[in-house]
Amino acid sequence: MDNNNSFENIFKKLGDLKDFFVYGQKLIPILHKILDFMHDTVPLLENVNRSIQDSTSKIPKAAMQINSITNANEIATTEILDIVDSMSLDISNMQTKLESLKSKIGEDEDLNSILSTIDKINTGVLNITISLQVQDITSQQLSSVNHLIQSIQEKLAALLIEFKEKDIHEAPEADFQFPRDGSFNADARYDKNNSSQILADSLVEETLNKASQSEIDKLFAKS
Amino acid sequence: MALKFLVVDDSVTMRRIVANSLKTIGHDLYVEAGDGREALSKLTTDDSINFVITDWNMPEVSGLELVKAIRSNEKFGTIPILMVTTRGLKEDIIEALAAKVNNYVVKPFTPQILKEKIEQIISAAV
Repeated sequence: MDNNNSFENIFKKLGDLKDFFVYGQKLIPILHKILDFMHDTVPLLENVNRSIQDSTSKIPKAAMQINSITNANEIATTEILDIVDSMSLDISNMQTKLESLKSKIGEDEDLNSILSTIDKINTGVLNITISLQVQDITSQQLSSVNHLIQSIQEKLAALLIEFKEKDIHEAPEADFQFPRDGSFNADARYDKNNSSQILADSLVEETLNKASQSEIDKLFAKS
Repeated sequence: MALKFLVVDDSVTMRRIVANSLKTIGHDLYVEAGDGREALSKLTTDDSINFVITDWNMPEVSGLELVKAIRSNEKFGTIPILMVTTRGLKEDIIEALAAKVNNYVVKPFTPQILKEKIEQIISAAV
């Protein structure tokens, strides 16, 4: 009876072993496929890693180039302002002399025409100054782009750390100082249709009216 | 009384444009500061400044922080402040008004707008 039980156990174990081998035979091709997949994927991941490292190392250079555009724009704007200032001074001197001449010779059609043309030139010069405000607006937009680039750099750096590769902050080109959040307005627009100014005027008026009303209310409360 | 302006902007170009606009509308007295910190230092040392024109977005101390710092100062807390900025969103304007700027100009501006706002502030103060 005991022998029968032992044989049954052995046969059961052998059955289990057979099942294991059958399962193993089915599993081996799958394992092969997984290994092949990993074999193909590892170089691909290394490529991705290299691309990320490459892109990340280029980011500070891109940011510096954007900064140099801002600096060049500022220098050019200053030069234009110098010329505009000099022109304004000349125009003002010319106006004074022509007005003096007018007072000496009296009304003269040609003189009036020249004065009117000078007025137009003066308005043009003033409009150039107004338009130069675009430099400040574009520099804020470029700072905003630099800030965006910084965010991408940080995300890529985090990815590189996941790959357990060199931190990009150690890269020699990565010493660029990105702009701080508060030093630019990402929504800066060169908008000459005055819609924002109209909105500001209505809000200022509303606030002033509220303030006046509260002063009146305080006065009545005192009496 | 002659007005002496403190023009606060981190952009050299904008400081110059504001200063030129002030000259165009007949105000020749002004000093400049590149950010809020420098502006506070100038206000502390120069008692003759009686009008502040400030940008919002600046490094170190922003224009809004400057307005708050001025308003909480016993010595120069009531000085008129005109905010001149690229920020034209409703919530920005409301935030600046809540911080107690006297008026608000959105860039790009003309000397005429600057004149109008300065006169409004002065006439309200009288």
